[in-house]
Amino acid sequence: MVMGGKRVFVSGVGGELGTTIAGLLEDEPWVGELSGIDADPPRHRLHRTVFHRIHPDEHDRIVDTVARFNPHVLVHVGVWEPDARAAPRAAAILTDQAATSILGAAAECSALEHVVVRSGIEIYGRARGALTRPSESAPIAPTSDWGRTVAAIEHTAARVGERVGVTVGAVRLAPVLGPHVPSPLGRLLRQPGVPFSVLADPPFAVIEDRDAARAIVAAARLGLAEPVNVVAAGAITALQAARRGRRIPIPLVGPDWRVARALSHLLGAPVPDHVSEALHRGRLADNGRMRELLGIVPEHGTVDVIDRLYHWPSIIHQPARVQVA
Amino acid sequence: MTSTLGRVVNFPVRNTASRAGAAVSRAAADVSASVVRFTDEQAGVVDDWGRDAGLVRTVIGLSHLRWDVTVGGDQRLPSRKGALIVVNARTLALAPIYAALALSEAVDRPVRFVGRPDVAPVGPLLRRIGGLLDHPDEVAGALAAGQLVIMGAAHNERLRKVGRVDHALVGGALAAGVQVFPAATSSNPIGRAARLEIGTPSRSPRRRRGPLSELELADQVARDIELLLSEIGDLRTGTPIDWLPLTGVGGA
Repeated sequence: MVMGGKRVFVSGVGGELGTTIAGLLEDEPWVGELSGIDADPPRHRLHRTVFHRIHPDEHDRIVDTVARFNPHVLVHVGVWEPDARAAPRAAAILTDQAATSILGAAAECSALEHVVVRSGIEIYGRARGALTRPSESAPIAPTSDWGRTVAAIEHTAARVGERVGVTVGAVRLAPVLGPHVPSPLGRLLRQPGVPFSVLADPPFAVIEDRDAARAIVAAARLGLAEPVNVVAAGAITALQAARRGRRIPIPLVGPDWRVARALSHLLGAPVPDHVSEALHRGRLADNGRMRELLGIVPEHGTVDVIDRLYHWPSIIHQPARVQVA
Repeated sequence: MTSTLGRVVNFPVRNTASRAGAAVSRAAADVSASVVRFTDEQAGVVDDWGRDAGLVRTVIGLSHLRWDVTVGGDQRLPSRKGALIVVNARTLALAPIYAALALSEAVDRPVRFVGRPDVAPVGPLLRRIGGLLDHPDEVAGALAAGQLVIMGAAHNERLRKVGRVDHALVGGALAAGVQVFPAATSSNPIGRAARLEIGTPSRSPRRRRGPLSELELADQVARDIELLLSEIGDLRTGTPIDWLPLTGVGGA
């Protein structure tokens, strides 16, 4: 398939992941025009991308913008992880509004050939007896709000794909960590004290934001037409992470978690149910098909990403050179 | 827990594209199946399945207090690819666990065993020493990633008899394209002596196109283990207990 001069539309281009994706797409030779949409402006400078600042509830403006651009490829990363940038209820509403408007608008575009959606490995759920490392063929049985949200996005995208006859690829990301990525898991692990489950302390895997962005760009380039797990190699437990980051491990069991979650919320690191689930039941996925489907493997393993998490600088407050007030 | 529905269906006619796709998948799996040496594994982290090498080394040290396992036939196992090893089992003998620990030492590779529960604290603890859920997809995933996996047959208290081998788990090995090895275990309830003898890979007596292949292979594995049990004989305690029939010594 000749891909020269494709029009690519990125939803959620204002987030760290979306901005990184747009930056990578700008360097792709097959990409012609590039446009993006979000409620917030991009996190860093984009040279070729035309940015539209539109709130997800402005349905008509979204439809008009997407329809006028008439993209060949839609990259939908406009999702709000609970307690990342918005409280769980607001995050669910924003994600639903964005998915419905953008995927619905894309369905009206005559040039549309391919859709890539950001999903998550939370989609497999962690019910009792769930596979330790589910592959892409494992049943979808989410057990958290975030898992149900990404399942709904995949479902909507698949329906759009069937209706208009375009391929749809779902990139199921492990929890994304990066120096500027708002992640509830990352915030929790960077607290001075890190809670862990005494009875389980299960392993989880993560993915660095740049690896996640590379995977999504590869999915857009190759026309991924099925789901793929994007997970860094290896795994780590909360206790091991706390030790590597020289944090104080806080052993918890049963009702202690309610108190810990409330305290953590007060300290600025709320623990949504999918993060709590990862700390109690683990969160792994089989990344064996990543190379086959996307032609890439993550550059950083899970332990490496966690080590880097603890080396990223905290917020540095610089006083104004001239006090004006 | 496991599905009894057969999972291996080979249709007689395949198109070229699907063959090419399968070849690519296998090649990709081979590349990704990098062999990890047990002695090189880093302590303080867990692997892709949650196995903690440091804890495994500690448990192996402790297991020497209970079992002194002689491992034979391990040279038959593939050096890089995955393999499913089926052992006979007896109630409370913990045959898959001591076999996995002993084989890890013998072949210097992580060895996993099937049959951990998914309930804390036992399930997570067994996961840390290499336990997998008793689920065909879990087993197939580990085998496709080049792991050595030990599963136990159903318990059978009769000497030199092997219980039912779960054909769904054997089907996982067929789906992953790895060999299935029969292995006889023998342990002593009142002594430390134990043995693990791995046989040549089992082969289905007939080439089948459907789920019969896994059923027949599972039956063949059970027969091969019985043969191995007959060959290695019973363990002797050196006490009058050996004179009793069905003492529970040997066989598992």
